Amino acid sequence: MSQQKATDAPATDQAKAATVQPSLATAMAATSKPTESLESVKEYQEKRRKAEGKHHWNDEKRHGFHLFLLVSPLLLFSILFSYYPLFGWVYAFYDYQPPIPLSESKFVGWQWFTMLWSNPTQLRAIGQVLLNTFGISGLGIITSFFPVMFAIALNEIRSKWFRNLIQTLTTLPNFISWVLVYAIAFALFSSTGMVNSVLQNLGWIHKPIHFLDSGSHVWLKMWAWSTWKGLGWGAILYLASLTGIDPELYEAAQVDGANRWQQIIHITVPQLLPTYFVLLMLSVSNFLNNGMDQYFVFQNAFTQEHIQVLDLYVYNIGMGQNSLSLATAISMLKSVVSVILLWAVNTASKKIRGVSIV
Amino acid sequence: MKRTRLTALVCLGLSASLALAGCGASSSSAPQRDDGKEMTVQVFDSLGNDAGIQKGWFGKVVHDKFNLKLNYISPNVNGGGDSLFDTRSAAGNLGDVIIVSNTKLAKLIRAHLVSDMTPYLKGMKNLQRFRSASKAVNQSIGQKSGVWAYPNNVAVDSPTKSSAAVDPDGAPYIRWDYYREIGYPPIHSMDDFINVLKAMQDRARKDTGKNDIYAISLFKDWDGTLMQNAAVLAQWFGYMEHDNILFQPNSSAYATPIDKNGIYQKMLRFLYQCNKAGIVDPESSTQNWDRLDQKVANGKVLMMYYSFCNWHQNTPENMKKGIGFEIAPLEPMKVYTAGFKPNGDTTTVIALGSKAKNKQRLVKFIDWLYSSYFTYMDNATVPDLAFKYNAKHEPYLTAFGERSLFNANGLMMPKSFGGGSAVSGGPHLNYPAVAYSSTDPETGESYNARIWKSQLNKPLDNLTKEWSQHMAGAKTTMEYLTKTHRSEVAPGASYAPPEAPSTLAVVQSQIKTEVIAHSWKAVMANSDAEYNKEINAMISETKGLGYDKVKAFDLKCISQWRAAMRQITKEYANKK
Repeated sequence: MSQQKATDAPATDQAKAATVQPSLATAMAATSKPTESLESVKEYQEKRRKAEGKHHWNDEKRHGFHLFLLVSPLLLFSILFSYYPLFGWVYAFYDYQPPIPLSESKFVGWQWFTMLWSNPTQLRAIGQVLLNTFGISGLGIITSFFPVMFAIALNEIRSKWFRNLIQTLTTLPNFISWVLVYAIAFALFSSTGMVNSVLQNLGWIHKPIHFLDSGSHVWLKMWAWSTWKGLGWGAILYLASLTGIDPELYEAAQVDGANRWQQIIHITVPQLLPTYFVLLMLSVSNFLNNGMDQYFVFQNAFTQEHIQVLDLYVYNIGMGQNSLSLATAISMLKSVVSVILLWAVNTASKKIRGVSIV
Repeated sequence: MKRTRLTALVCLGLSASLALAGCGASSSSAPQRDDGKEMTVQVFDSLGNDAGIQKGWFGKVVHDKFNLKLNYISPNVNGGGDSLFDTRSAAGNLGDVIIVSNTKLAKLIRAHLVSDMTPYLKGMKNLQRFRSASKAVNQSIGQKSGVWAYPNNVAVDSPTKSSAAVDPDGAPYIRWDYYREIGYPPIHSMDDFINVLKAMQDRARKDTGKNDIYAISLFKDWDGTLMQNAAVLAQWFGYMEHDNILFQPNSSAYATPIDKNGIYQKMLRFLYQCNKAGIVDPESSTQNWDRLDQKVANGKVLMMYYSFCNWHQNTPENMKKGIGFEIAPLEPMKVYTAGFKPNGDTTTVIALGSKAKNKQRLVKFIDWLYSSYFTYMDNATVPDLAFKYNAKHEPYLTAFGERSLFNANGLMMPKSFGGGSAVSGGPHLNYPAVAYSSTDPETGESYNARIWKSQLNKPLDNLTKEWSQHMAGAKTTMEYLTKTHRSEVAPGASYAPPEAPSTLAVVQSQIKTEVIAHSWKAVMANSDAEYNKEINAMISETKGLGYDKVKAFDLKCISQWRAAMRQITKEYANKK
């Protein structure tokens, strides 16, 4: 790529030179003879028009086009992966059953949408799903300061090897897939898992505790698992910004007689807040996208009511129950809710901080 | 400048859509000559439990005979419900040989993904013999002409004769050795059964010193429209399933999952009471079939509602010692079995893919699946190797046959079959083209070696002998059930229910999710109050989702099914 650029460079330079030189000459002429200048400018413009033929290139445009070429792969990607799939929304208006092609499927209009609120039980089902989504995401956002605390605590550990050890151990779970996490969870917490066996052998309980197959405290359990998995990883960004804090601030504080706790409260925390707010904003915009693999693996007849988040619900309906059209309709609703959320956050940000995000 | 940008964008968009549209492009193929070359056949096998190339001796047999290699594509292995079918079929090629449900077949015909077999049927003896079966498939999907597919489990026997020769699939099988130890207490009712099972569990735990033995262990893998473990218990009382309604084939009785006095809820209550009595494995709600199967093999389960894993315990050595599963003398039972289906079971059919090469050869292969030779082979009795004929032309098992049928672990195939394990090298197609226990017209005896005259005349093993003494002198489970009028045979009509309209199908699947979730919660409930809460929630939620419409649709199907049963019984009687 770079080689190609290098060989191209002389050609473009020459072309540049060809256009630049006459303009310089006329400019010089214009300064020397003001009466002739108008004519010469016109002449020059005509010449240039002829020379360039149909293309009305000038430096600015050329430069702009080059920049456009640079950005075009990204544009292509965003069109391919963000806008092209929107074409799939048409499936929500058909009774699509593979492999019968769309052209032969029955057009049903808003049937799938009206079905969603056709009766109170359906509405309640959707409501429960939204509640789960908001609940689990909400728990995550409420506790989003955990990684900050963890990063600060980690930073305060003086022994380097111990700090590294802790950091490695807490970061590792992030790289384990949810399927494997569930395998671990099953080995530990199933009815005949380690925890139940130990408790039973100790004689503390007589009936195994249903950790995985009970519908109570599902949100909390899911939050606990995702925190266990993501805490170390979430702290990495804060650790990075911790190293960016000007040491002079700490030195000044020490001179003023601040102890370590006061340094944390009055220097570290305020310095981390901008990063925290950016990440908070990002997680709010991802409010509905709390993923599905975690909930998919932990899903069973007992947890289903409280674990079905929007993404999992769409999967269950589309793949599990094979109603692809209805699943499309629901995922369209998700986009609508997302846009509303984004608008709300944006307006709030405008009012509170005076800066809009979008 | 703006225009350039716009044109560039449009171009990009167009090229992208063209590039993606290329994926779905299809090519039509004219009838071709067989190229005679070795060919790998993609078999879309919705019944298969294994995926990949068929290896071992069966692979060799198919290769020698047809120069074919079978590559199984199995949704059961891949998981994710219908997504494999959806993606493959939407991409325009499901496979060369296709085993799917009849409702899916109807869609495949509309999408031109299966071929009409008519031009290839010349000289196909077996397929010609079962022509009426392919007509039954056509009828089930509303096709007027053509030979689109053949159903499974075709038979030449009477539709009122039970297709279960020895053991019904669903019946109360108990560990007879422990039942003997507690002194053969009579079982007058399901409540008695709980007590008996409890006593057996206590005894087994005392004998072995292991506390993880449970009388009953459940699993969730096979939950379809109902909690399968409760639905299978309903079979003990002569009920069969359609969607989520359980009904008796020969009476007008039926029960929906939300009928409080219906059979389904009775069975849920039974399981709940078992759980309360502490005889249900606490791992039931999380384990899968494989784990349960293993537990049965390790003697950790004392009652099995399916006959499929009895063989783990009923090995020749165990049976000599009197150990093994046998049916319990449960007084009120009337066990359901399906009758033979002269026109086959049209709910799952085999068809020819439209994109396949060398179609004539593939039809020959399908024809072969309906032959006696393959039927014997598919059931662990390879002709000439596992059995031979005596002077009266009656089949009898050879020493190899005895092992391959009753104790196949570690059995190796002879060199002429390329060696290798007899079990893992066997057919993994799992498509029973011809009903296993039906009659082979050539011998006049069943394909099932267990009920050959030569086999039944052999002296009984200790377990069966002793069981037989308590069970009216019967030699097999089916014999006992028939003798004591505890058998309910559903006439074998080739009825496959029509697909529900799509909006109704959505409600159906929402209802099934609710029913299954609340059934499990009810069975594993900690108190009567919790049990009742779950049952009431199940009733109110399914009603709220619109169960009445689903029920009306299902009842219509059931009445059609019953009519088809009467029809086939009449037809067969007239034929004779």
